Order: sequence, then structure tokens, then C-alpha cells
Amino acid sequence: MNFAMALDYQNCINCKACEIACKEENGVQLGADKQRIWVGVTENSIFGRPILSLYPSQCNHCVDAPCVDVCPTNASHFADGGLVLVDQEKCILCKGCMEACPYDARFVDDKVAAVDKCTFCFDTRISQGKATTACQATCPTKVRLFGDLDDEEGELVQLLKSRKFFVLKENEGTVPKLFYLFPEHDDHFAQNSIGHETTIHTWETFKPLIDMAKAKRSKQWTSL
Amino acid sequence: MEVEISRRKFLQGSVALSILGGATLASNNLLASTKTDIKKEYTFKEVPTLCEMCVNKCAAFARVENGIVTKLDPNPHFPKSKNMLCPRGVAGVHALYDPDRLKYPLIRIGEKGEGKFKRATWDEAYEAILNGTDKFKGLKTILEEEEDNRSTIGYCSGEGMAEHTYKSFMADKFGSTNFVNHASICLQTTLSGYSLTIGGYGQADLENASYVIMAGANRAEAILTPDTMDLFKRTRGRGAKLIVLDPRFTNTAAQADEWLSIQPGTDLAFVLALTYVVLDEVLYNKEFVKTNMNSFEEYRKHILESNYTPEWAEKITGIRASMIRKVAREFMESAPRSIYYQGRRTAWSKHDFQLRRAQAIFSALGGGIDTKGGIIFGAKVPLGSHTINAPMYANSLSRIDTKEAAIVGLSGTWIGFRNMIVEDRTPYPIRGMFVYKQNPMLSVPNVAKTKKMLEKMDLVVTIDTMPSDTVMMSDVVLPECTYLEREDPVKSFGGTQPSIVLRNKVIDPMYETKPVMEIMKGLTEKISKPLFEITKKYDEDVQDEIEERGEEAVYFEDGFDLTDAFNKSQEEINEHLVVSVHGEKAYHSLKEKGVYYPEMEKYFKQISENEYEYYPEDKKYYTVKKGSTIKDMPIDSCISEKEIAALKKKFKTQSGKVECVLGFMKRKGLDSMPTWHDKYLVPTPKGKFKFVTGRHAQFTQNSTQNNVMLLDLMRENYLWINDKEAKEKGISFGDLVEVESSVGKIQIKAYPTIKIIPGVVFYVHGFGAESTGLTFGYRNGASDNMIIEDTIEPVFGSAVMHETIVDIRRV
Repeated sequence: MNFAMALDYQNCINCKACEIACKEENGVQLGADKQRIWVGVTENSIFGRPILSLYPSQCNHCVDAPCVDVCPTNASHFADGGLVLVDQEKCILCKGCMEACPYDARFVDDKVAAVDKCTFCFDTRISQGKATTACQATCPTKVRLFGDLDDEEGELVQLLKSRKFFVLKENEGTVPKLFYLFPEHDDHFAQNSIGHETTIHTWETFKPLIDMAKAKRSKQWTSL
Repeated sequence: MEVEISRRKFLQGSVALSILGGATLASNNLLASTKTDIKKEYTFKEVPTLCEMCVNKCAAFARVENGIVTKLDPNPHFPKSKNMLCPRGVAGVHALYDPDRLKYPLIRIGEKGEGKFKRATWDEAYEAILNGTDKFKGLKTILEEEEDNRSTIGYCSGEGMAEHTYKSFMADKFGSTNFVNHASICLQTTLSGYSLTIGGYGQADLENASYVIMAGANRAEAILTPDTMDLFKRTRGRGAKLIVLDPRFTNTAAQADEWLSIQPGTDLAFVLALTYVVLDEVLYNKEFVKTNMNSFEEYRKHILESNYTPEWAEKITGIRASMIRKVAREFMESAPRSIYYQGRRTAWSKHDFQLRRAQAIFSALGGGIDTKGGIIFGAKVPLGSHTINAPMYANSLSRIDTKEAAIVGLSGTWIGFRNMIVEDRTPYPIRGMFVYKQNPMLSVPNVAKTKKMLEKMDLVVTIDTMPSDTVMMSDVVLPECTYLEREDPVKSFGGTQPSIVLRNKVIDPMYETKPVMEIMKGLTEKISKPLFEITKKYDEDVQDEIEERGEEAVYFEDGFDLTDAFNKSQEEINEHLVVSVHGEKAYHSLKEKGVYYPEMEKYFKQISENEYEYYPEDKKYYTVKKGSTIKDMPIDSCISEKEIAALKKKFKTQSGKVECVLGFMKRKGLDSMPTWHDKYLVPTPKGKFKFVTGRHAQFTQNSTQNNVMLLDLMRENYLWINDKEAKEKGISFGDLVEVESSVGKIQIKAYPTIKIIPGVVFYVHGFGAESTGLTFGYRNGASDNMIIEDTIEPVFGSAVMHETIVDIRRV
């Protein structure tokens, strides 16, 4: 099992149902800076016309996650399914992981005095037999698809085999697992919402990167 | 105040509050909040309910752990809302556990509007409504003085599933004719425009449309199911071309192929010019026009001879003539899968009714009515009936506001009604007001006048869940439970995939709150007999009847026993309405899944992680108004969609066809066809701005303004102002500015942005409460209706919300 998520970010309307569902489902602390997931917004303009790009996002559960390496107490760790989790009991709030994360996906949960982040709803939903995360289930336009990269016949891998995609900040070398689906029918939107240096991948080009990183890291996966 | 309460702490807090408030929670639930008992006592259930955070009624499952609602999840069984729950829907938990909720009945002891109340029992509250207190008069005195004119008590309500129950009391049993609801501050003109023209508002089939013009409607932010879900999976090269007209670059505009930044109040000129192009270039569906449109030739002549050219419209709308031509041509190329989206919300300008007619006629010119990808009417699953024995009051006079506009229906004109009272123009005194699920203090333009109206009243009774601004202006306040604590009347939803849905009760009502059905029951038990005494005294018809048949017979048989409408529980009534038509199994489905439709067991299936199928494609009701049917056509695979769309239909209009001309309007001195009037356009003087308002994905009108979870996403509203103009005025982001119109002024923080055209400013509706009962909502942001002028359009007396001129200055 290697949990991941594909995002048809072109569908996003920035309604933030996902943010609220996440907070409700997981009891996340209130406050604008206390987010397990969020919708990234960039506003530009070309010749005076506004352009809005939305990037719904959360922890990438990177296969080669730097946040795990910097943790002095093993609070940040890999778990089965390639999840990156935080053991609240072990966290000493040094915030090294928050510095190391290229995606700014972590924050301090003041309720328990520990770092908090997205768990792919593993504890609240997936381990209870549900197939979707709270953010995916509630989304009006169904941006997200959660699934298992090891299941070749599963919906997620089938989707990634049929669509081109990109990941955020690939050059950080963390092998992230949020796959943003390339807007194949809208060149204008693709040009304006994807950086020039971003590599557009197919399953064939990205699968080896996952395999390589997983071979290096999966020994560290603890059982849940 | 900082909003920094953790959700878990917050829920615990609610439990504690409920104990103090004399809660009805079962004892095991209370025990469960201590850690040692969690394992032993843990209970879990999922209850199907319907959301009431806005008017959509999306299906949800409420997760109940240890008697506490811990999460609201989407319920995938409902074809209308499919499997989603929007941010407001998910935040419904905080409507239930809002610490500021009304918890028990209140009776005013201070001056009106002062916010001083005493806690009362239900009986004391009903008693105060009947007999008044030393601070205000009761129904008995008022009706005695008005000689049993029941219409002296006006009543209003917002949209909701129990609105009907409330109306059964106020109109059918109590006998008042003076009802004002949300229609005239909402979609009255649109609903009527489409109904009188094509026979119904219909549903835009955004799942199949190829071309959509969305003007003013903002489906990415004003979420509507299924429209929002259907459209935004298909925009930008994925099947539906989207043209958005709006002075603001909304999230909907961001998804559009073209954003046309139109001047507010000029939409009619745009549609007339589109129509001109289509008629001039003969691009319309000739067969459809021939078979299904009435008085087309007269309309054609009117449009062409009035010279509604794209060049003419460019000067008014600010949209280039070449763009108007392009849109008109593309629309007709895609027809019949082309929709000029109906829109909802409110009237924008005095043109609004004819604007909606022009939209409907333009859609019809392409044949996109009652056909796949167009505006469809669909089918409805029937329900049983439930009758009420309504008494006749000889002295109850007809409603006061019928002359305020050309056609004032049963739901009235809010502004017209209120202004008549404030300006002492009523044919008889309106001395009381019952308010249910509405907050006119924030929802009707010109707040100062609404306040004045409520101040003038002898008796104001408000039924609500929250201490709104209107509650603060009331004499008696009756606390309703929230939608998660009651069962509401079962409802049938029409469309291509029709179904019946039920809002089940999730938990018992908290504190001393009650559903409106029980409130009506308690109130009628108190007032029925004493009020009948007044009727007996003044109503000659009743006196004659009593002489003939005896008092008891008249009281019980003729419906003067007001309690008889509320004898049965909502649960019993629902069971009867469903079982009498569809049998026990259907009712069971509503209890278990919240949804029922014929063949549901066979048809309903999950087809992927994100998608469900409700009806097979060939069982959906795309075309229903059949004059001739597809079967009458020769079976030929070459038949085009245009030809199918042009089959003879029978619409629910006077002639059974699309009505281009409404003769009766002329007799009322109004336009019979969509016609542009320069005098209806309010010019913006140099240096001033036109104010427009709108909706937001995280807030519903003013009912969500105290919701701590939603406020977490947007703490307050901001004034959108064009960035260049802001710079000229030295206004930067976050600066406090004063916005002043002829009726009021407010202060609000500024948001200079490229996303709004010069000369127009905007802020979202639903903020700026003055009620001190709202911890988070009190004086948070600004209320739009403080500054919107109380202008009405001439046809229905609907509020014109986009024609207010304002001054802006930095504070």
C-alpha cells in the first residue's frame, strides 16, 4: 500500500468545503493559520485582465520526506501505506520539521502542544473502512481522488495512466504524492497555472521515481 | 474578539451549557463526557437529514456519537445534491451548538430594541402574546380594537421546509392576509419572468449544455445544487463553453471562457442586442419558432424596429459590439444545448422582469427549452395530501399592498408593505407582526425604515433559532430548534431525476426549544377560544351561523378551533403522505437513506469513488411537454437534436407556447414585450460609485454570521474597489472607509482589486449585525441593506438592489 492523491485542480472553485470538512472530521484547531489542508490562490493579470489560479493542497506524504529526517525524537515518522505522521507524545515542538517541509504543510496544534498535519484521514476514516478522505467526500466538484499507488487496477493508478500530471516543487527531491492533473483541454489555463520549469509527467516517467524512493525509505515504515 | 476555540473544547462547552440550560439530553450522554465511561457507554448512529444552512436542501448524514452530532457527511442517495456537502453544510454542526442560540422563550421588559428580556416559560410567552404585558399589547386587545380584522397582524417568513406549517397557522387558521416572504427580496421577477414566458422556471441542464451564458449569477460562490457540481467539471474546454457577465471577476468568471465586465443594471440591453443579431441574421431555430412560439412576428418587428443593435448596446453595457455578435452566433451554433442561465437572487434594476423574459425568449429562439442540454422541466414524484379546515373571517380585510406594483401576489412586496406602514399610507392599521425564520432588519433594503416599522407595532413576535437583529426588536421571542433537532414536512423534488426527501430528526431539541409545528400547537391551544370570543362579537356571519347551528358546531366544524391543524405530529403526517402513495417500503427508505424514488433499489449505484448513478440515461426526464412525441417522428438515426428540440410542445403558459407578447401587461399600462427604457438606468455621477451586493460560498444571507467555523475562513466582509480608483483616493488594503448613500452609511475595510470595474463597489451580504446577542456577529463587518435604497421595480414590487449610488471616503 502506498497512499496518494490526484487533484483535478481545474475543478476547484475555492469554496473551501474541504477545509471545513477536514477541521470537523479531525478536530483541527480553529484559526486561519491552523490548516491541515488549504486552497492556494495566485492572482495575476495579463493586459489588465485578471487571472486566478487555485491549488487545493495539503501534506504530500512525500516518499522521501525531509521532515522525518530532521526530527530529533522520531515524532515525525513514516508509517505503513507511506503515510507521514506525527507522534504527538514524542513531539517536543522544536519545529525543525516545519522548516524542512517545502510545502508549509505543518503547524503547531496548541491543544496538544505538538506539530499537526494531514493524515489522509487514516485514523478517522480510512482505517474505519471508508474509501475516501473527508476532503474528497465533501467536495462539490470532486477535485480529489484518494487511492493506492501499489494497486495497478485501482482507480487512482488508472487515472494517472490516462492523464498527464505534475507535482509541486519537484526539484526539492522529496517525491511528493499529490498529483495535479494537467488541464489538457485548456492551453491558456495550463500556461498560466503551471510554472515554466515544472515537468509534466506521465505514469511511466514518474513511477520509477516513486519506486526508487520507496526502496530507500520503506524499511522505515512502522506498522499502524 | 479572537476566534480561537478548539472544536473539541467547543463541543464540550456546549454540553456543559446544555446542562445549565436544563437540557433534554439523555443521562447516558452526559455520563459519556467523562473519560472512564466512554468505552462502556459509547453509542454511534448515522441519521439521514437535509441541510438547512441555505435553501438548497442537500442530503447529509449526521454522525451522532454519544448523543452529540460530531460530523455532517454528504449523503450520496439524493440525485439533486449527489454526494457533496458545501462548506456551510459541513459547518451546520455549529448552527446546532452555537453558544448564542435562543434557549428559552423571552418576553421584553425593557424598551423596544433595547435588548432587555426576561426568561419565560412557554405558557407565559403564549400568555403574553394573547394578553400583552405592561410593556406591549396582546392579540386580544388588538383584535378587539380592530373589530376582528385579522389582517391587522402581518406576518413574514424566510424560505424553509416548515414555512408551510407556519403559513397554515397565520393564513389558514388565524386568518391574516398580510403575508410578505422572501420572494420580493429574492427571485420573484426571475421566477415570474420565466413562468409567464416558457411556463416555468425549470432547471438548467448544465450536465449536458454546450454553451452557457451566466449573467450576474455566481455559481462558484452562490452554490446551488446540482448546478454548481455539474457545471464546473465541464468548463474550460471540457464540454461547456461559459460566458460570464459581471462587474466583478468572481470565482465563476475565473472559470469562464469569456468574462464580460458589464455595467450594473444594463443586462437587458445586452440580451436585446443578442436577440437583434439572431433575428437580423436569421440564426434562430425556425422549426421551433414556427411550432412553439406565440406572437413571434410581433416580437421580431419590435426588436428590429427598435434598433437594438450591438453598437447601441455597446454604449450602454460597455461590452464590445463584436463580442455581442460573437456570443449570439456561438449560442445559436450550439443550440439547442445552449442556455441563457435563469439566475436567482434578487431584482437588480427596474428592468428586471422584462430582462428575465428576454432571457427566456432568447433561449427559446435556439430551441433549448424542455430538451437535453437546455432548460428542462422534468418530472415529479407525487405525494399524498393533507387538508386543513380553514375558518372564514368576515372582517379580515384584503392585503394592503396590492396597489404598490402592477401584480402583487400572495407573497407581497416587502418594501411596498413596509413603506406603507412607515409612511402611514395603509387603509387600516397594521398593528402586529409575526416573524418566522426571517431577519428583515438585515434582509430588507433601508434598515432604518424596517426598524421604524417594528417600532410602530403594538406586538412583534419572532420565532427564530438565533438572537438576530429582528429578535432584538421583538416583544415575544419563541425559540425554534435547529433543523438537526426536528423532522420537517417530506418534500418532492422534480427534475430530470426526481425524488422524495425527508429531513429526519437527528437529536432531540436542546434547551427548551421546539419545532415550529409544536410552537403552533401550543400557541393555538392558548389563543383559540379567547380569539373566537372576539369573532363572535364582531363577525355577523358567524353570529348567524351560531344562531342556526349552535356555537359548538360552528367552532369545531367551521375550523375556528385553531388547534385542529396541529393535532397530529409531523412524523404521523409524513408517514401518511408517503405511505398512502408509495407504500411502507418507500417510507422505510426515507427513514434509512433520507431519499426515495420509484425503482431506486434497481437504479441507484456507485460507479466510481466520486460518482453515483441515480437513473439510467434513457429513464431521465429531459423532454416532458410532449405535444407530439419522438415516436411520431420517422425512426431515423439522422434526426438532429435541433429537429428533436423543435417538436411540438405544450408549455404551461396561456397559449401553450412560448409567450413573446404578454397582452395583459399592456392593459396594466406596462410593456408587453421586453423594452429598454433609458429612464430606468440610474447614472453614476462623477466621483461616485454604484453599489452592488452578492453572495459568498461560505455565508448564507445573514443566517451564518455567528458561525464560528465559517468565520474562521472569512472573518468579516470587505469593500471591493477598483485598485486604480483606490490609489487615486489614497485607499490601501485594510483601510477603514465610510460608504454613504441617501439612506445610510457604514464603515468597512477596503479591498482594492483589479477584479472589479471602475465606478462600482461591492461587499458581500450577511454581515454587520447590531444584535448584542451575537458574540461573533455583533458589529462584524457591514450590512449592505444599511445603505441600499428602497426602490422597487414596477411589475411585482421587488427590491431593486443594484441601483444605489454611494460616496466613499477614507476614515
